[in-house]
Amino acid sequence: MHEFSICQNLVEAILDAIKTMQPRPKRLLSAHVVAGRMRQIVPQFLESAYEALIQDTPAAGSKLNIIEAPIKAKCLVCGQVSEITPPSFACQGCQSQSLDTISGMELYLDHLEVEVENETGN
Amino acid sequence: MKQEIKVYRNLMGANEEWAAKTREVLKEKKITMINIIGSPGAGKTALLEKIQTFLKGRLRFGVLEGDVETTRDAERLATLQIPVSQLLTDGACHLEAKLVHYALLDLPLDELDLVIVENVGNLVCPAEFDIGEHAKIAVLSVTEGEDKALKYPLLFRESKAVILSKIDLLPYLPFQMDVCLAAVKQIKGDVPVFALSAYKSEGMQAWVDWLLTFSEKK
Repeated sequence: MHEFSICQNLVEAILDAIKTMQPRPKRLLSAHVVAGRMRQIVPQFLESAYEALIQDTPAAGSKLNIIEAPIKAKCLVCGQVSEITPPSFACQGCQSQSLDTISGMELYLDHLEVEVENETGN
Repeated sequence: MKQEIKVYRNLMGANEEWAAKTREVLKEKKITMINIIGSPGAGKTALLEKIQTFLKGRLRFGVLEGDVETTRDAERLATLQIPVSQLLTDGACHLEAKLVHYALLDLPLDELDLVIVENVGNLVCPAEFDIGEHAKIAVLSVTEGEDKALKYPLLFRESKAVILSKIDLLPYLPFQMDVCLAAVKQIKGDVPVFALSAYKSEGMQAWVDWLLTFSEKK
């Protein structure tokens, strides 16, 4: 249930970003978050927390989109970079288990999709 | 009109800033901090009680005791004259860096070489959070089954050592040690595993020796 704690940071980041946009967007349509596969984020929990936390904020009514990033690791024996599929943590080249994980722990707000006034003012 | 705005903001950023502050304190005070993670009832507190006996004063250690409710574990350790600071998460399933930072400052840091954080009993959430520790240590008891490393890969992947506790119960369980060790190795091939019983003091010396060496080298 650490999703709620993470979501508080997410909503804070979104509201900060909206505040600094010039001109101010009419509304936020969606927020896109990249979550590494190694992180044990349950998308449904994050979405529920998001819906609860955006109520009565400038982000109200927006959707959350979670983009899963694969786990990649560099083999310390042969140097090959492999995509890892848990529960098997082994190099796809030489099967060594001496690996340095280089991605899969990401957790960041990547981009927002907003609705802005048309240049004609409509 | 729709517009896409690139943001890129790390959602663990605030936690990482607190973890970095904790690392600065630890560096200044020359203290090693380890973060013990295991399920409720895995034997984490019993392990801490026994570490004191086996350290034989070679390292002065204090404990940050994380619990959802009650100060029972902290009281158990305080009766052994172990400096302890209790962290009550009031429902939260893990410790975060800010809470740990302030609790750390409550310990008599000038009198310590090692701080052991006993995280909230949980194999999932605590593994996600950097609290400024030098090492996460996974504790798995033999009553929990052989396959836990496969089910909770992040914890075992992040841990610098794995403790297999309650081995005194092995004669009464259909537990296959080789299957359990293979599962741990599948997630992290080079992680040291210490099979021990804190209750019977079996296997404790090897684990405490590792802790002493890690504390010097870290």
